[in-house]
Amino acid sequence: MKATGSLPAGRSKFKIYRDKLLAPYIQVPVLGWLAGLLISTLLETFIGPYLAMVLGMSDVPALFGFTVVLKQPVLIPGVIIYLLIIYVLPIAIGARLTKSLANYIAGKLQQYPFWISAVIHIVLLYVVINTWAVMNDYRVLLAKLIMIAVIVTLSLNVINGYMGEFSCSHPGFIALGAYTASIITVLFFVNDSVLGAALLPPVLAPFLFPVALILGGLMASLFSLLVAVPAFNTRGDYLAIISLAFTFIIKSLLENLQIFGGARGFMNQPNLATLPVVFLWTVLAVWIINNFVRSTLGKALNAVRDNETAANAMTVDTKKTKMTAFMFAAFWAGIAGGLFAHVMRYVNPGSFGIKKLAEVLAMVYFGGLNSVIGSIVGAVGFNLLSEMLRPLEIFKWIIIPLLLILVMIFRPTGLIAFKDFDPKKLLRAKNKKEEDK
Amino acid sequence: MRKCIVLLALVLILPLTALSAAGKAEVKVIKIGINAPLTGSIPKVGEGTKDSAEMWLSDIDKAGGLEVGGKKYKVKLVIEDNESKAASAVKANTKMITQDKVLIIIGPQSSKQAVPAGEVANNYKTPMISPWSTNPKTTLNRPWVFRACFLDPFQGRVIANFVTNQFHYTKAAVLYDIASDYPKGLAEYFKKAWEKLHGPGSVVAYESFTTGDKDFSAQLTAIIHSDAQFLFTPQYYNEVALIVKQAHQLGWNKVITGSDSWGSAELVKLAGKDVYGDFFSTHYAAAGAKGATKVFIDRYKAEYGYVPDDVAALTWDALNLAKTAIQNAGKLTGNIDTDRKNVRDALATIKNFKGITGEMTFTGNGDPIKSAVIVRINDKGQFTFFKQVKP
Repeated sequence: MKATGSLPAGRSKFKIYRDKLLAPYIQVPVLGWLAGLLISTLLETFIGPYLAMVLGMSDVPALFGFTVVLKQPVLIPGVIIYLLIIYVLPIAIGARLTKSLANYIAGKLQQYPFWISAVIHIVLLYVVINTWAVMNDYRVLLAKLIMIAVIVTLSLNVINGYMGEFSCSHPGFIALGAYTASIITVLFFVNDSVLGAALLPPVLAPFLFPVALILGGLMASLFSLLVAVPAFNTRGDYLAIISLAFTFIIKSLLENLQIFGGARGFMNQPNLATLPVVFLWTVLAVWIINNFVRSTLGKALNAVRDNETAANAMTVDTKKTKMTAFMFAAFWAGIAGGLFAHVMRYVNPGSFGIKKLAEVLAMVYFGGLNSVIGSIVGAVGFNLLSEMLRPLEIFKWIIIPLLLILVMIFRPTGLIAFKDFDPKKLLRAKNKKEEDK
Repeated sequence: MRKCIVLLALVLILPLTALSAAGKAEVKVIKIGINAPLTGSIPKVGEGTKDSAEMWLSDIDKAGGLEVGGKKYKVKLVIEDNESKAASAVKANTKMITQDKVLIIIGPQSSKQAVPAGEVANNYKTPMISPWSTNPKTTLNRPWVFRACFLDPFQGRVIANFVTNQFHYTKAAVLYDIASDYPKGLAEYFKKAWEKLHGPGSVVAYESFTTGDKDFSAQLTAIIHSDAQFLFTPQYYNEVALIVKQAHQLGWNKVITGSDSWGSAELVKLAGKDVYGDFFSTHYAAAGAKGATKVFIDRYKAEYGYVPDDVAALTWDALNLAKTAIQNAGKLTGNIDTDRKNVRDALATIKNFKGITGEMTFTGNGDPIKSAVIVRINDKGQFTFFKQVKP
């Protein structure tokens, strides 16, 4: 009797303790968390290298020590200490100490137009990412690729999540954007053996880069009609097959276009996709896509997903809705492709095949359907995990699919699905009772 | 509660002090990065790379380290998996250069990873030797990127010359994968070389397929009905097995030739008797090898239980090139940028390096001058040396 009685008691004791530990953090606003992160990254910049040396590591662990630990398990205590001193404690203490100040500022900001608060938060977020990443270029590269993955995941979620169609055409859209943007920048700013001498001075490149990206996006949009028009009358498996065919068509088109390198790939893109550029495009993508899915048209997507006939009867123009969704999603996939091409500075058709498709689908379904936050979590989580587990070699390909299966079992629609992302609510001060609720 | 925290702190601090003591006593090591496709579509290539590198490291360890300028340094290999993907090869290279601070990188093997990864190495001014990448773009205009093998244009010429001189044939057929950069490039170079010898139109059948195709009967029928005297198919070993089997089923009984991508231990296992008597050009021949090459093959076989393919042999040579370059650099300053520069300069001027895949000389750029070998697959399924072709 005693044993059975003590078990729930112990559990509840742990629960009480946990609640006590977490209680102060419920009221920390986003601004406070950002302050904590900033303190943590600054701390790493200044004492990280010394601490790492003292703990027996050759350099600051790039990805929270995962790659280090998987190769040298001896360093596990060192890495744990490092993570505690550099990340966990500063973020926890920083967020707690700045809580009242952050709440005060956040409260003040609520009196001004929302964009001021948004800009401040975004700038702070950039400063955090930048301070973390510039420690070494490996992190910069990863940060860029992860942000590009966020754009891709979000745009695919518009079709697969919000509209509920199973589309496999995304690698094709990404490839179109990547090649179009690359061809434009190489044509104008690089002395290339195929496309000839640079037409414009390289000084102009950063200014015309957005134009190249947008043209890449528009190209993808245009081609997306090839999938969108058949989608008027087909759904489900049939659309999946059509869109899969589209991906293969684009891939073999590029393989046979000898002028752009064919299967050997196209290279020499100028180094234009720097960290701030990629960050800005990602913020723009998140903002615009979030507004799109929360607009009337975005709600129409959900109506089409839930019951097309009913939606049609309720004055939703399903054809227009489908076309817009495909073109809109393809546009952002194209932008992501353009950025990807300029980060890698090499594109080949082989990168946009079935492997890419599996990757983007996994990110969407891992993160969560019908959710902007879910997409961000999915893209960041999947990419970080995939990179952190790379030292495990073949076991990585057992662990990641296993995780996906587990997610599908316990959360069939993904980690954070069907959640509305309201930036105004997110950035609010957390110390008062929410009156308007 | 407080006791618990104090205890926790003590437990955490204990290894800290032990480690900091160990950190001070640590000797300086030379780090060499290996960028290999351990998973993905060609894991056998990754396995050969890794096995070869580990055998090389055990030699260095046995000798007590690598001697540079009278001092012995321990060598550490940083092995990264590039998943046979271009993006991952770039990530792996960036990580090894900026995070692990390797002195030199060996790999990636396939051109589709070596071309973008070479860009990274060149940008960060880190020497890189790709053992197996035969695409000219890998080293083109990149002073920091080297290779341990010959180039595709040379190999195309070698096959064309060999068939002309050996069999006096004048009509060729080519079957290649248009979606894969290596076969496609080689098919083009071969066609160019062949038409230079026998005039335009002498390649009577030039058929292509797409990666992943398993049925080649349409292309092979066209080839059989042309008046081609032999078939050249620069495919990877798994595809070669399917191609030769189907060709024989359709009634093809003439010679089939290939390129260095045939040279895997798996080829004979998959294709069986169908490849007996065929030829391909490659970097070295395992059966009938002499001298240092034989020693390497025997040791490798004893260690890992299979005959090393050309990837393993070239990786071995690339590592020894790196070793020679580090030793020729004279000394290690401890400043990684200076050391990388010294190693690159030493590497670019290596003369008459005796590798197990032949003698190599670098003349300032990243491509060695070295000869190719024509291999015949004999009636026992062994790769036997047939002929050496000098550049």
